[in-house]
Amino acid sequence: MSLGGALLLLIEDDEPMRRALVANLAGHGFRVDEAGTAADGLRAWEDRRPDLILLDLGLPDRDGLSIIGQIRRDAATPILVISARGDERDRVAALERGADDYLTKPFGLAELRARIAALLRRAGGPLADAGGLLTVGQVSLDIARREVRVGDAPLDLTPREYELLKVLLGRAGSVVTVGRLLRAVWGAAYADESHYVHVYVSRLRRKLAAAGAFEVFVAEPGVGYRVLLPEAVVDPG
Amino acid sequence: MNFALMDQLARQSVSRRTGVMLVTGALALVAASALVAVLQGQLGVTNPSAAYLLAVVALAVAFGTRAAIGGSVAAFLLYDFLFVNPRFTLTVATVEEWFNLILLLVVGIVCGRLAGAQRDRAREAETRERIARALFQISRALAGAESAGPAMVTVADLLRVETRMSRVWIGIGGSGSPERIAADTGQPADIAPPPVHFVLRRMPGDVPAEWVKVHVGGGPQAGSQLASQAGPRTGSPSEITLRVVILSNGSGLGSIWARRTRQEGLPEGPETRVLSAAADQLGRALERDRLVRETMTMEVARRSDALKSALLDSVSHDLRTPLASIRAAAGSLMDPSVHWSPEDERATAASIDREAERLNRLVSNILDLSRIEAGGLVMRHSAFPLEDLIPDVLERLAASLGQRPIEVRIPGDLPPVDIDEVFIDQVLTNLLENTAKYAGPGVAVRISARELGHDRIGLTIEDAGPGVPADALPRLFDKFYRVPQHGEGARRGTGLGLAVVRGLVETMGGRITARPSELGGLAMDLELKVAA
Repeated sequence: MSLGGALLLLIEDDEPMRRALVANLAGHGFRVDEAGTAADGLRAWEDRRPDLILLDLGLPDRDGLSIIGQIRRDAATPILVISARGDERDRVAALERGADDYLTKPFGLAELRARIAALLRRAGGPLADAGGLLTVGQVSLDIARREVRVGDAPLDLTPREYELLKVLLGRAGSVVTVGRLLRAVWGAAYADESHYVHVYVSRLRRKLAAAGAFEVFVAEPGVGYRVLLPEAVVDPG
Repeated sequence: MNFALMDQLARQSVSRRTGVMLVTGALALVAASALVAVLQGQLGVTNPSAAYLLAVVALAVAFGTRAAIGGSVAAFLLYDFLFVNPRFTLTVATVEEWFNLILLLVVGIVCGRLAGAQRDRAREAETRERIARALFQISRALAGAESAGPAMVTVADLLRVETRMSRVWIGIGGSGSPERIAADTGQPADIAPPPVHFVLRRMPGDVPAEWVKVHVGGGPQAGSQLASQAGPRTGSPSEITLRVVILSNGSGLGSIWARRTRQEGLPEGPETRVLSAAADQLGRALERDRLVRETMTMEVARRSDALKSALLDSVSHDLRTPLASIRAAAGSLMDPSVHWSPEDERATAASIDREAERLNRLVSNILDLSRIEAGGLVMRHSAFPLEDLIPDVLERLAASLGQRPIEVRIPGDLPPVDIDEVFIDQVLTNLLENTAKYAGPGVAVRISARELGHDRIGLTIEDAGPGVPADALPRLFDKFYRVPQHGEGARRGTGLGLAVVRGLVETMGGRITARPSELGGLAMDLELKVAA
């Protein structure tokens, strides 16, 4: 089954703004988690691993800029800053911290959605096609729609399984270490829980096999996992 | 430069000293002669001429080498005349007597010179020490002061004492403009530089500075031409006026003026050096002051620029935030992809309305504030009893104040206050709305008034809410200041309401301050004038 549209996390303290954005984005098929403070936002990030983060910089409890760094230590999830601070200096600071895009308030909703879509298309990394679709053999993963298919059939995955597969497919052909998987899927706090990775990988392997995709990835003992590229595909690494 | 007056001054002081020296020398020689007579006549000392050496050494110590030599020659002649046979002639009979006389002369000269040189060295050392001390005190006065201004009084006093002037004053002003007196040891009433005075002309390198007589309007002039004008025209006939120009980088910043009696004459080398060095030091101090002033002006300009751009940032942020909500809400209402329930649609429209109102409040606050700051608000005085004023405002704000206990304690016998009705209404509205917004629903409010004396009435609005952190209190009335606060609604204020309140209160000649209330929350103390 499809997991539904991409999961967005909106961290914004201005309540009328938040309501209007949630209404609009939901109307366009996105699922939106919302947070009014930096602390709530980081908690939602840990729990839900959204596909993209919309971040206001002027938060009541701490500066949005510091959140960017914290998220970037774990994962490459796209961050789109929406802020009333429009100075070049502010925009540069946010982008340098690791934000992927910057939109100055007030902005049009169509532009916001277009930028979200563009970021999601690129979120698959260099291996994704022009539409943001990651395909290895029979398995394809569509970040914008948060959807995994084996052949033509949608595959039902839990959020962690989806996230795990996304990270592995995004670096197909290369070894992804257990540590990296832990940080990206569970967060830095789980750095010592390597058994999580092994348990989820074997579940994922079972689900893929049940859908007809065998040997999608192999274990590199003591290091991590690697998605096998079909012979025809040249290893880009 | 040999000017008649200078010669005259020099002659006057020289002749005075010479007179004293001659009289003293004569007395000393008479005393020595008496001593010789006693020694020779009464005690039978064969050759008592050495007694004259006492007089010679005394003269050397008192008046220096030249006096000693003169004394030796006089002693030689006196001894020859008074005591050498044949007596009362200058004839010398025997070789032995000749030998005695020559010995007296030579020993007298040598002793006199030695004693005189010793005395000159001691005096020189003393002078040097006095100059050094004076210069040190001047440096210390100037270096220790934050600006040259107050130090100049000390410098003028020091100069008056150390260079033996009757009066010293320091005038400050660039070339062309008249000087302003910055320090004066005398009565400030009667200083006008006399048309003729002496200016110290300082030379480059080691060439000693010299005093040049000038006639105001003509600059330095040749002495021969002025010889006839000397005397009465140089201000007070008994005093001479001196001027040392204070220079810095070649431009005049002012002058040290000094007066001393004509009898004292022009300052000698050491005193001139003190005056000249003081002028140099003052020049440096004034230059330092000028640099400090310039730096400060630049710093003020820089800070005010920084403040302006901070305000601009803040305004643009505060304007953009509600604008962004309005655009997002309106955009969503227009968007055919978003499906609204009728309630959601109404709620979104209501939020657009609220945000537009917020924007409006911000803009009118900014306008009010700029009018207040530009001084464009004119107060319309009216005498109004607080007793009548408060209930009106409370009634109008009933909705936003909601259900909360409001205690009003205004004594009936308070005199009416001098206010502008529109201003006071906005002040009270802003204050009570703040209370409603930040103290939380249901929190008690107390409004009380009392006489403060000095034709002032105090009005306090306080609440039992959470209050404001102590470090935020002094900044509460600053433009764009918002009390750091967590949670929802924390950033909804414009940071302008209380700045407007303060502006209006001050326009009415009153004052407003904030403090913690004994009810637990915030207390705003207004001070208003009693109507005349």
